[in-house]
Amino acid sequence: MVEYALRRALYGVLVIFMVTVFVFLALRAVPGDAVRIQLADAPGVTEEQIAERTAALGLDQPVLTQLFHFLGGAITGDFGASFSDGSSVGGLIADRLPVTGQLGLMALAIGVVLGVVIGMASAVRPNGLLDQSLRLVSVSGLSVPSFWLGLLLVTYLAVYAGWSPPLIYQGPAENLGGNLAQMTLPALALGAAAMASIARMLRSSLLEVLQSDHLRTVRARGAGRGTTLFKHATRNSLLPVFTVLGLQAGGILGGTVILESIFGIPGMGSLTFEAVQMRDYPVVLGCVIVYGAVFVVVNIVVDLMYGVIDPRVRYR
Amino acid sequence: MRNAAPLLAVHDLHVDFDTPAGPVAAVSGVSFEIEPNETVALVGESGSGKSVTALAMMRLLGRGATLRGQITCDGRDITGLTEKQMRSVRGRAMTMIFQDPMSSLDPLYSVGNQLVETVRLHNRMSRARAVERATELLDQVGIADPRGRLRAYPHQLSGGQRQRVMIALALACSPRLLIADEPTTALDVTIEAQILELIRGLQREYRMSLLLVTHDMAVVAEMADRVVVMYAGQVVESGAAEQILRQPQHPYTTALFQCIPTPVTDRSAALTAIPGAVPSPHELPPGCRFHPRCAVAFDRCVTGQVPLFPLDGGARHSRCWLSGDAASGRADRTVVTSASVPGPARRRR
Ligand SMILES: Nc1ncnc2c1ncn2[C@@H]1O[C@H](COP(=O)(O)OP(=O)(O)OP(=O)(O)O)[C@@H](O)[C@H]1O
Ligand SMILES: [Mg+2]
Repeated sequence: MVEYALRRALYGVLVIFMVTVFVFLALRAVPGDAVRIQLADAPGVTEEQIAERTAALGLDQPVLTQLFHFLGGAITGDFGASFSDGSSVGGLIADRLPVTGQLGLMALAIGVVLGVVIGMASAVRPNGLLDQSLRLVSVSGLSVPSFWLGLLLVTYLAVYAGWSPPLIYQGPAENLGGNLAQMTLPALALGAAAMASIARMLRSSLLEVLQSDHLRTVRARGAGRGTTLFKHATRNSLLPVFTVLGLQAGGILGGTVILESIFGIPGMGSLTFEAVQMRDYPVVLGCVIVYGAVFVVVNIVVDLMYGVIDPRVRYR
Repeated sequence: MRNAAPLLAVHDLHVDFDTPAGPVAAVSGVSFEIEPNETVALVGESGSGKSVTALAMMRLLGRGATLRGQITCDGRDITGLTEKQMRSVRGRAMTMIFQDPMSSLDPLYSVGNQLVETVRLHNRMSRARAVERATELLDQVGIADPRGRLRAYPHQLSGGQRQRVMIALALACSPRLLIADEPTTALDVTIEAQILELIRGLQREYRMSLLLVTHDMAVVAEMADRVVVMYAGQVVESGAAEQILRQPQHPYTTALFQCIPTPVTDRSAALTAIPGAVPSPHELPPGCRFHPRCAVAFDRCVTGQVPLFPLDGGARHSRCWLSGDAASGRADRTVVTSASVPGPARRRR
């Protein structure tokens, strides 16, 4: 199992490497020059100054040279410096990552808790009133993009409740209430899709398991609902739910890019968003690598969970 | 044999299933009784409604099944009980083991976990004590190294061992009636004999009644006190095993006996020995449900429903015009199929 995890991690590194190279080249292909965008607002900039700045950033070199230069640094953990203020990319990410971590975990927790509750409640009485209304909730959760849901939530709360979340970020340590007031809405918007797909998957998986022979046998021995539903049925329904969870974790990560920007949260997402706008190549690449690493780790964890849940799963 | 009150009585049981093609009657008007310590064999070909009857007794039919009639357990009708009330009946009063021991065990929990869970479900005892009891049960069902096997998962056991574990789980409930639905069909012949022997020994030791569902008449001869023969959702013959084996009254029972596999015949081939197949509940023939396949059917069999005739003063029953005292219509019958198989009428002294 350890060997399996290591092998998966190795593949993960390979994937991240390829993604990095792809994003590196794609950034160069996007129209817009980093230096010109940076200096666009400054009045009276001469062509010489632009050339000078370009050389300073190493952007006058051939693209492949730049790539090898970046990769060489990245392998030793040095992602270079931000084009805009020269601060270290590693330092920027270290500041921003905990914020996104909190948001992502909140979104995931909301998705998992609500998804499991809704999924179970629907499976217990299929096609009952609860099931029907929950199905509506979960289908809409699936079909609505998280950024739109986020905007909708803010707008409705502002219009009908006269409340809008704070836009100045506060860490959970300085002001937990203010922090949660700002984070909860985007976490809800981000977690909605996960909630919906977990609920749907758990419902159908539970319904199937509840019909299974071994559950009938458990009932034939006189077991109550606690044992049948929560012990045997739930665990037997979990594998497909974990698969969905792995996919949805990716969706949540991607969603942070826009939602953090909408809600003014200074995390990895807004960092990425601004860096892309400014063509701040080192920051974009640093963020991509970190996002990729998190995604790879999440998927390895999900795969290892299969083995924890099901003793028949063998890793080869 | 019939001295005590029946432990369990099924009276006029009907089970209908909702299907896309409308409701179908899988079981129509089945009645029988099981006395304490008695072994009743429920026999019939595939599709005759044996499992549906057994599951109805446990109230384990899924959604879409409607049940009518009475199922009395210790004098109490259990057909109207709620799921919650059924919990006190399932396990303690009766429990059930199934044909396929692989799919009947939860694959995600160890044998020990499932045993301890069941032991503690029915007995107030500490975990440690329950583990002791679980070990004891595994030992009783003939599993070597019972303590070590507690940690095994179902997929790590052989088919025979799994069925032994299923039996141990049933024993953990100390039921008064064990329903065994074709417990050996998934196993090979040598294991089958061992498992049947085990069930019989434990039945005596635990003073249980046994409802043995099977389509193997050799097993019936080996195990049963009484036999209930089902065909297309009805009881066609019932009575003491000895008498039915010696002198079957219904042509279907006779035909089943001709299916007893001998060591040289392949079992699956033996099961197709009666020409034709059990009619599906959608297309039951009029009159006697067996008449299209019956070697001795005559005009009356095609038209009217055949009642279940009491024979030998009510000790046995047969749903055939040709059986015993009911054979009054014999003189004026016209055979509608050419009889190649000797029917019970000809056999009778
Ligand atoms: N859930 C269900 N829905 C619809 N019809 C069903 C259902 N369960 C059983 N039946 C029908 O009821 C009839 C009796 O089935 P049953 O399983 O009791 O047969 P059986 O005698 O146990 O046969 P076997 O020896 O194959 O186990 C069959 O025709 C079957 O198609
Ligand atoms: Mg069956």
